[in-house]
Amino acid sequence: MKFDGEFELDDVPPEQAWVVLSDPIAVRDALKGCQFITPMDDDFEWDSYEPDEDVETLPEADADVVADRAFVAGQEYAALMQIGVGSVKPKFETTVTIEERDDENFEMTATGSGSASGSSFSMESGMRIHEREDADGSRIEWWTEADISGRIAQLGGRVINPVANKIVNNFFTAIESEMSDVEETDSGVTDRIRGMF
Amino acid sequence: MSSDHENAPEADTEYQHAEDDGPQPEKHCGHGRGGMGEEVSRKEDKRFITGRGNYVDDIKKPDMLHCEIVRSPHAHARVKDIDGSRAEAMDDVVAVLTAEDLLEHDLATMPTLMDDTQDVLVNEKVKFQSQEVAAVIATDRYTAKDGAEKVEVDYEVLDPVVDAQDALDAEAPLIRDELDDQEDNHIFDWETGDKDATEAVFDAADVTIEEDMNYQRLHPAPIETCGAVADWDPGMDKMTVHMTSQAPHAHRTLFSQVSGIPEHKVRIVSPDVGGGFGNKVPIYPGYVVAAAASFVLEQPVKWVEERSENIQSTGFARDYDMTGELAATEDGVIEGVKVDVLANHGAYNAAAQPTKFPAGFFNIFTGSYDIEAAYGSLTAAFTNTAPGGVAYRCSFRVTEAVYLIERLVNVLADELDVDPAEIRRRNFIPSDAFPYESATGWNYDSGDYEKALDKALEMADYEHYREEQQRRIENDADKLLGIGISSFTEIVGAGPGEQCDIAGIEMFDSADIRVNPTGNAVLRIGVQTQGQGHETTFAQIVAEELGMDVDNISVEHGDTDTEPYGLGTYGSRSTPVAGAATAVAARKVRDKAKSIAANELEAAEEDIEWDRESGEFHVAGAPDRSITITEIAAGAYMNHPGGEEPGLEATNYYDPPEMTYPFGSYIVVVEVDRETGEVDFEKFVAVDDCGNRINPMIIEGQIHGGLAQGIATAMLEEVTYDDNGNVTGGDFMNYLLPTANEIPNFDTGHTVTPSPHHPIGAKGVGESPTVGSPPAIVNAVVDAMNHAGVSHVEMPMTPDVVWAALDDAGLAHKPAQNVEFEFDGASGSADD
Repeated sequence: MKFDGEFELDDVPPEQAWVVLSDPIAVRDALKGCQFITPMDDDFEWDSYEPDEDVETLPEADADVVADRAFVAGQEYAALMQIGVGSVKPKFETTVTIEERDDENFEMTATGSGSASGSSFSMESGMRIHEREDADGSRIEWWTEADISGRIAQLGGRVINPVANKIVNNFFTAIESEMSDVEETDSGVTDRIRGMF
Repeated sequence: MSSDHENAPEADTEYQHAEDDGPQPEKHCGHGRGGMGEEVSRKEDKRFITGRGNYVDDIKKPDMLHCEIVRSPHAHARVKDIDGSRAEAMDDVVAVLTAEDLLEHDLATMPTLMDDTQDVLVNEKVKFQSQEVAAVIATDRYTAKDGAEKVEVDYEVLDPVVDAQDALDAEAPLIRDELDDQEDNHIFDWETGDKDATEAVFDAADVTIEEDMNYQRLHPAPIETCGAVADWDPGMDKMTVHMTSQAPHAHRTLFSQVSGIPEHKVRIVSPDVGGGFGNKVPIYPGYVVAAAASFVLEQPVKWVEERSENIQSTGFARDYDMTGELAATEDGVIEGVKVDVLANHGAYNAAAQPTKFPAGFFNIFTGSYDIEAAYGSLTAAFTNTAPGGVAYRCSFRVTEAVYLIERLVNVLADELDVDPAEIRRRNFIPSDAFPYESATGWNYDSGDYEKALDKALEMADYEHYREEQQRRIENDADKLLGIGISSFTEIVGAGPGEQCDIAGIEMFDSADIRVNPTGNAVLRIGVQTQGQGHETTFAQIVAEELGMDVDNISVEHGDTDTEPYGLGTYGSRSTPVAGAATAVAARKVRDKAKSIAANELEAAEEDIEWDRESGEFHVAGAPDRSITITEIAAGAYMNHPGGEEPGLEATNYYDPPEMTYPFGSYIVVVEVDRETGEVDFEKFVAVDDCGNRINPMIIEGQIHGGLAQGIATAMLEEVTYDDNGNVTGGDFMNYLLPTANEIPNFDTGHTVTPSPHHPIGAKGVGESPTVGSPPAIVNAVVDAMNHAGVSHVEMPMTPDVVWAALDDAGLAHKPAQNVEFEFDGASGSADD
């Protein structure tokens, strides 16, 4: 299945969107049902891992800390994500690898796979942040190609598509609100962000 | 009885025909004792409707463990690694089983009923979605389920092929690469009839017609899913398995063969079973896993499927892609029939049918018609779908055959512009032609097809609806009327041992009657009920043949430790085979009762007569000198004649000389909505002839249930797959069972044409409505549109399918206004 779309953020410059979308904690907080996204090594154990709660994100967070934990190309991440599709609410244990990160063009691609409750999926995803032509702000272009098997796939596109769209929509709405917080609280943040690269 | 073995079967056949005229329930109903023809209330219903049934999931044993199966989300994948450590680390998880564990006990594979070999747990490669990969055993069901979530399976996903035609393509992925000689996905070719003779008839014919039709994949979907409680007793070296089985004895033999446990140390109990419909004939991996786990852990293990597991992994039905042709004279006399079938058998050849019949009894496709020449060919293919090909509420593949011929006859009627009732009349096997041998070699026992059709036409007020149909066409009405007929013939009661076996075991059946000193009796039968009412019907046969009150007879079934060996209940074989065994056993008891009567009445045995009406034994010419079966029972134990064995009992193993051939005519009137494609039933008439009727009320119930399933087939149900092998019709959200909303009122009627070779003239009825009704319904929907050239509509005829047919024919009425729907706007777009 292929999903793609665009989302526009008012008054958020691309570099700022890029930083927020590069922060695993900010992404987790914006992604409904996501319990953690964390770098994964060979010793990682799904059953015993407990994510830190109430981790600060920008603007409160220290810029260096945020820069340190930003997604790294080539790194594998463990993500636990609960999704409700119809009557099924599986918790997906997902492994995501950031394939490429382009700090200049604000483009990031990732591959991932996960499984839960007799369902499994693999996907290739990407996003690119553009400057808006008509107004201040960013235009985020995203795409995903997913292979879905098992119980969720059995529900068919008419059930899956609205769920996928809702997840993405909620995500960008939450990201937008995080970014507005950044803007309102501390205009100096943008400068600090620029300094991060 | 002679003890000489060679004479024994010979001696039994003398009981096949009663000493009098036999039971005639239409004339003498039940004799007031609950014999044949009486509407005796079902003995089993008291426990069912008061919640006291005892199903597999009701069985609880001390220290019982629970089993959950880990299933593959992929349709075709190599299993690279299975890691059960996270599950094993959970409290209350006792074990995780994989193929490796089963290999140690030589239980990694099991034979299918068609002699294929199926993985119990996947050894190397997954071949269909939801195939069994591992099992988690835990102290409670929830933990077992949570544990199954924690089993990590590393798959290498392979391209699947789900369509039978695609599977036969040279480029298709090879599904069964573990088989040495298997180089493609082809399983077998089968043919029947005389090809040359049929071609000659077609070449010379005035008229030929051809139609492609698909009998979609269905699932029997019994309300109770499959399950088992396996209990290995290391003290007794005995395995007891309570399981949802339609054939406990055959399953005992197979269990013994698979497990290596001697057969006398295996006990299969099929307790109350909540519907089978052919789904519970095969053996499934879950049963074997539960038994293996109990053997290893030495504790009872319960396994019960969920709904989606049942639909997605256990035996499906149908999935025949058929092309049929008829050759006829210009007067509509059918001279030849040809059929070519592509059969999707799924990932294993696991069809459930007599071994010598790889396409079941599909060669009954000449139907109710006297056709000179017939030829059929069939190719079966493996696909990455669940294995199956079970006889879903029908005799093996008879449903597909009946659908084919009843549709073709209608297509011919359209072609020649002859009324579909009339064209049937012109081609029926005449009632005086029985016994009749069909062009494909079946020997029909008896029939009077025109009588059943005439009765149905009258009940349906056929002419009125034909006029109404015409009126609506002329008025360009929003709702078109369609009238469909099906005059089907079934072949049931498998079957004669020479022709029919399951895994080598001949398809006889058995009955054992023991009359107690106080005059009541226990009947044990080799068949097993899944709700059909055996406990009542079979008691009525004994009541009829022994002159006993039906309340004094209890029927036991389903426990291999106590019941005589039988092949089980499916293919409408219970009454034709075990019912015959029951009648014969009762007559043997009656015979012995005569010697006791002679002793009690101080008369010569040859002077003792039995009177069916009174149920009493008396001295010939002196009806007052009589004795009841109750008094005789006492005599058998308290005053038995010298030189004879005490007691009063008999056993019969009945090898039927022929199949039986129930038939009927169904007429369906539908309204087709030209705006929405919705189909409403205006009238639904079902006239059945199942020979002598044992319990008309139970028959009526069977007809109602079967018609509901026939409507479901025609209108709603299909197990669908997407291209990746995902089952998209694998639960009750997507596999649409009918509710009361979809089921109209039925007008049922009957004719009676007894089977001449059956001891009580009965033929079997439970499956006629499922077999006979789908073509009547499709014929009706097509009939509503054929004035505009529609010759066929595929099942299931959901509103979108019907609307598309209306639209193609230029019959669709568009809604008066365009209605626009707005969906909640998400910014993204999604494509399949």
